[in-house]
Amino acid sequence: MAADTQPTKHPTARLRGLSRRQARERAFWLFITPWILGFVFLTTLPLLLGFATSLTNFDGLNLPVLKFVGLNNYARFLQDEDAIYALGRTGVFVVTAVPAMLIVSMGLALALNQEVKGRGIFRTILYIPYIIPVVAGTFSWKLLADKNVGFFNAVISIFAPGFAVNWLGEQSTAVLVAYCTWASAGGGMIIFLAGLQAIPSELKEAAQIDGAGAWRTFRSIVLPLMTPVVFFQLIMGLIGALQTFVQAMLLAPISSGGAAMETLPPRPNMLFMVYDYLQIFVRHRFGYGVALLWILFAMVLVLTLVVFFSERYWVYYEVEAEKK
Amino acid sequence: MSTSRALSYSAVQPRKTRLVRPRTVSTVIGYAVLIVFCALFILPVVWLFITSLKDETEYAAWPIHWWPNEVQLVNYWLAVTMIPFAKYLWNSLALASIHTVLVQFSSALAGFAFARLPGKHKQFLFTLILATMMVPAVVTIIPQFVIYGQIGLVGTWWPWILWGLVGQPFHIFLFRQFFASIPVELEEAAEVDGCSPFRIFWQIFVPNSWGAIAASSIFSFQWVWGDWFFPIILLSEDNTTLAVKLATGYLNPHGVRLVTPQVAATMIYILPLIIVFFFAQKHIIQGIVTTGIKG
Repeated sequence: MAADTQPTKHPTARLRGLSRRQARERAFWLFITPWILGFVFLTTLPLLLGFATSLTNFDGLNLPVLKFVGLNNYARFLQDEDAIYALGRTGVFVVTAVPAMLIVSMGLALALNQEVKGRGIFRTILYIPYIIPVVAGTFSWKLLADKNVGFFNAVISIFAPGFAVNWLGEQSTAVLVAYCTWASAGGGMIIFLAGLQAIPSELKEAAQIDGAGAWRTFRSIVLPLMTPVVFFQLIMGLIGALQTFVQAMLLAPISSGGAAMETLPPRPNMLFMVYDYLQIFVRHRFGYGVALLWILFAMVLVLTLVVFFSERYWVYYEVEAEKK
Repeated sequence: MSTSRALSYSAVQPRKTRLVRPRTVSTVIGYAVLIVFCALFILPVVWLFITSLKDETEYAAWPIHWWPNEVQLVNYWLAVTMIPFAKYLWNSLALASIHTVLVQFSSALAGFAFARLPGKHKQFLFTLILATMMVPAVVTIIPQFVIYGQIGLVGTWWPWILWGLVGQPFHIFLFRQFFASIPVELEEAAEVDGCSPFRIFWQIFVPNSWGAIAASSIFSFQWVWGDWFFPIILLSEDNTTLAVKLATGYLNPHGVRLVTPQVAATMIYILPLIIVFFFAQKHIIQGIVTTGIKG
């Protein structure tokens, strides 16, 4: 049988005298060519251009009289108290929002993975916030959280008349974290749920036959098999959270007019990227703004690499186990 | 054959009775979690809907009106007539569809290459993709904006077409992870039969991956439909998407924002997404679950 199939290699390989391995490697390069082109022209080139910009005093219009200022823009960051403050706010946001998103989406997936009636309806409702675009989502949250005519304060005033929380002001970071958890948990939930359902039921059944309870089955079977999914979600969550800014800007209190792009978020929600956005699009400090972007980029990179190198200590891949 | 079946039956019978208790407890917890979170998660949408039925003064009334005194369907009429609603709706639909189709093809192909094909520096290249995902989108978008300006692509849909053609790191990663979980046995048989890598991709991986494709399609469609920042910096008044107009369009002649028509427009804007999800979710989730070795 094996001898029979041996000569009938891959037709193209036979034709061009390529070995099977060579043909497959050629296909590899062919298939990733679009990505390589994108990587060169839409990522690397803009990154380098951006870095070059960060070494200048570019303001969007002064191209003829552009000055090279070296690392001045980076040095300026260290003395820019507002930028450091903004970085701190981003830190607060990341360490609250990322765990909140992971725990809520994993918890919901576990709950949905039970044998509950009306599972489809529950799942649909829980997923709906995820498909609601940021413009619509933040707008609906502003209606809830408005200080004067919002739903939250209306509920509070039932129990404590005359008491109003400034949700979109002093408490705006809490609302931002709640909004982002609400808006993203559904996506994580679906991915976790798919992961849970991909766990062969024989494994869980075998554990239960051996006398493992629900918690033990979760700890020893479900959780290890879910670590690749958690890993994926953690990385995506961190990256997303660190560059959050549109949500914070759109959650600024409803103003009487004008575009939302001109409305500033309240001070607690002055995230790093919001501050950077102001530098670039409002103050037209392209050089400084892009330098700040590079600082954020470096931090995102370091943090993600740390998580990535921790992979081997806690992420379980079935393929690796099979190879042994 | 019959002995193994008999064996598995005897293994199944006692287990069922033993599992009754733990399953009940976790089911009760499951119900509690689901009901509480469903109520919390649907609240913003319900309140959005209620507000869309109020008139402008009632929206600003305090104490709050939990339900409008008189349902104001006129808000929906205002929503589609205060701005050229149909035009922007079409823009959103067309732009999102074009981008989605392109992204699926290019990303799945690259994901397949990284999951299954040999290549020099493959690991390094894959790390590069992950690194690309870590690049805050704005770091590349602002210089891209300058480049597009130079070659006359600002104010056109070309940036979205280009982003589609080259594939998106997130989707490449998603497909790669998905393809990597498809058992090697499935493709080994085809390889022995002499299938080319593209045929293995097209005839074995793609048909076994409708779940991943559906999920990825919905993600990328939503990304364009819901995006607000890129259209605002890259598109013009004429060809921009509904999201942009939604945030800025509903002003009265004095430049004062009219909240309730904007709320009604927001309802119209999110409704198609919810309807599509109602019909597509079965496919997405069944697809994800039944693909791979079980399919």
